[in-house]
Amino acid sequence: MPYKYYGGVHPDYAKTASKSPVRTIAPPKEVVIPLIQHIGVPNKPTVSVGDVVKMGQLIGYDEAPVSAPVHASVSGVVKAIEPRRHMLGDMILSVVIENDFKDTPCEDLVPLTEEQLNDPEAIIKRIREAGVVGMGGAMFPTAFKIAGARGKVDTVIINGAECEPYLSGDHRTMLEHPVELMKGIELIRKAHGLEKILYGIEKNKQDAIDLLNSLEPEKYGITIVPEEVKYPQGAEKMQVKANTNREVKPGGIPSGVGCNVVSTYTAYTIYRACYEGMPSIERVVTVGGDCFEKASNLLVRFGTPLSHIFAEAGGFVKEPERICMGGPMMGICVADDSAGSVKGASGLLVFSADENREKEEPVCIRCGNCVLHCPMKLEPVFMYMYVKQQDFRKMEQYHVMDCFECGSCSYGCPGRLPLTHTFKQGKAMLNAKKAAEKLRAQAAQKAAKAGKEAKA
Amino acid sequence: MEEKRLYKVTSNPIVRVKRDTRSIMLDVIIALLPAIGMGIWMFGTGAVIVLASSVISCVFFEWAYEKLMKKTNTVGDLSAVVTGLLLTCVLPASSPWWMPVIGAFFAIIVVKQLYGGIGKNFLNPALAGRAFLTAGYAAFMTRWMVPSALAGVVDGTTMATPLASLYGSDALPAYYNLKSMLIGYIPGCIGEISTIAVLLGACYLLIRKVITWRIPLAYLGTFAVLTFALGKEGYDSLNWTLLNLASGGLVLAAFFMATDYSSSPVTPKGQLIYGVGCGLITVLIRYYGGYPEGATYAILIMNTCAWAIDALTRRRQFGVSAADVKEEKAKLAAEKKKAKEGAAS
Repeated sequence: MPYKYYGGVHPDYAKTASKSPVRTIAPPKEVVIPLIQHIGVPNKPTVSVGDVVKMGQLIGYDEAPVSAPVHASVSGVVKAIEPRRHMLGDMILSVVIENDFKDTPCEDLVPLTEEQLNDPEAIIKRIREAGVVGMGGAMFPTAFKIAGARGKVDTVIINGAECEPYLSGDHRTMLEHPVELMKGIELIRKAHGLEKILYGIEKNKQDAIDLLNSLEPEKYGITIVPEEVKYPQGAEKMQVKANTNREVKPGGIPSGVGCNVVSTYTAYTIYRACYEGMPSIERVVTVGGDCFEKASNLLVRFGTPLSHIFAEAGGFVKEPERICMGGPMMGICVADDSAGSVKGASGLLVFSADENREKEEPVCIRCGNCVLHCPMKLEPVFMYMYVKQQDFRKMEQYHVMDCFECGSCSYGCPGRLPLTHTFKQGKAMLNAKKAAEKLRAQAAQKAAKAGKEAKA
Repeated sequence: MEEKRLYKVTSNPIVRVKRDTRSIMLDVIIALLPAIGMGIWMFGTGAVIVLASSVISCVFFEWAYEKLMKKTNTVGDLSAVVTGLLLTCVLPASSPWWMPVIGAFFAIIVVKQLYGGIGKNFLNPALAGRAFLTAGYAAFMTRWMVPSALAGVVDGTTMATPLASLYGSDALPAYYNLKSMLIGYIPGCIGEISTIAVLLGACYLLIRKVITWRIPLAYLGTFAVLTFALGKEGYDSLNWTLLNLASGGLVLAAFFMATDYSSSPVTPKGQLIYGVGCGLITVLIRYYGGYPEGATYAILIMNTCAWAIDALTRRRQFGVSAADVKEEKAKLAAEKKKAKEGAAS
């Protein structure tokens, strides 16, 4: 039985795309692949302009452990290596490949041998080589995450909550590739050196739970945990709580309480990397929002310009106002639709002005909904006030740093306060203050040392 | 180069719940309709005049103040209408037309706008308005029109309320019984006479999740338990408790006044404490005060404690256990001790 956690909200799930199969879209004429599609050290290009590249060929790499290489998602000719607009807003060095529409596969990565498939080192090495990152949206290099947790954690949880509205790519993957998915989860289990692994799935995907349970998950060491349908069930801390009843300490990460959380699509990508020798070059993206006639799940190569994806999804039926990368609760607005799709983009939602409920002059009516909705049991109503006043002492007292920006407070706010946004600012302020204090302390220490030396 | 079209960027969450301030206020207005309708049925034109005068002046003062101070106009959020309706509920139908105007001025200008407008007032505006009028025009505030249901049963145009009879020296007149008090065939303020009508609106608020059960339940629960325990000579304890619950503005106050967002606590535990406090003070005033109705002052007194209650009832955040808190406290105490010893030596 899953354990409960406090708060949360029940947004309109709008998961209409979960009913129809994943459709592979026609690849674009040109892909723009940013060399950063992960959290960590940027990759350096390993190809030059004019090179002929194959599909799946390594095009960007850095040896730093906290990084994930990128691969060509189509075969063709490298047209340019230049800064291009990233989905997240910055200009990022990107490799532009002109598609030859042949999809000539690259032979660099071959499927792992039977022996390697049972060797944690070999699996982690392959995860690293294939450029696998947290596909739920965090984009943290998976190999580093698993290597760091191995031996330290006793429980690994695969995150199949998919609690964000609209998104149903994970749900479709469970239904369409159940065996492959479970083999991928088995690899994650083996990479951690564990006998058992938990798979938490929200109960609104009962068909997927039934299907997976009918395919003998215990054969792979998997226990499926049906979870309460509530946002933010899929947040790491909530997953740990729901599956193990352990609570991650403030400022801590799941491994602090002996847990590691890996998302569903990451598991599937690991399966493909290990069993098929296919690096991370494509993913299922839920394309939806009120600007489309119908929401759909599309298999999209990384680097595909968003405008191409939107055209393939049937085009807009309403004047678009905002593009959201990821789910609508924690997703990030994308300003430029020429940006290439990246690994962490689980959804691309386009909303018209009708869906925009922001207000120019938001007013708090002190209804207290935010207090009841906060899964971290914080008091957003007061945090908002103190961040606005820049009262650092109170901000710390009210635990602004504990906010993980799930958006539940803002979602349910009738006064339309930019609560989550303000807490992001508050966290940045506190971090800047901490950094400044550290610098000051260092400078003081240096000065003291210099003074001592001068005396001596 | 051609200007590239850029899409709008907002912070997450990209979507928001449909419910906004205006729709919440609209729900409160809907919830008040049965109670006010009952008042109009029982008291006729007098109630209508109070209603019109109260709502119009609340909206006017809100509009005028914001116009004068060059602030954004917030009449559209309907909160002034709600204040107007609530003020109507807690005034006698016999009030002259200018009394609600004074009450509305105090409620909207002094209590609400001078403290910064919606969400910033620390007192319930309608109750503060009523308290102001009670202080200034006590005679008008205690003159009770005979409801149409009792016309012919009693002589004259005014009469004593059941609450006054309950706590007075005389026995309760025969035309007051639990049934008539639940339905509302009694004199009193416009919105408070019919307990059933008030409960109907309260159910609507609970179903629509405009309010939670915490404050009303803690309030009425505390009140019922204490009244039952204290009792009164000549009455069966249960009957006494029920008569008390159904008389005066208690139920209206518990569901519509004590739950006012900006003057009540926001933490779940705080809401319970606040409700218990309201119940306790109401009983104290009814039993030992010189004035039969206690709810108004009980709530106004607890209003002033709301922020303190919030500060004292904060929850342990996610990931912090009771042991963690203890440890943290011990650490702080040790540090303090150390600092003290350091200063001493």
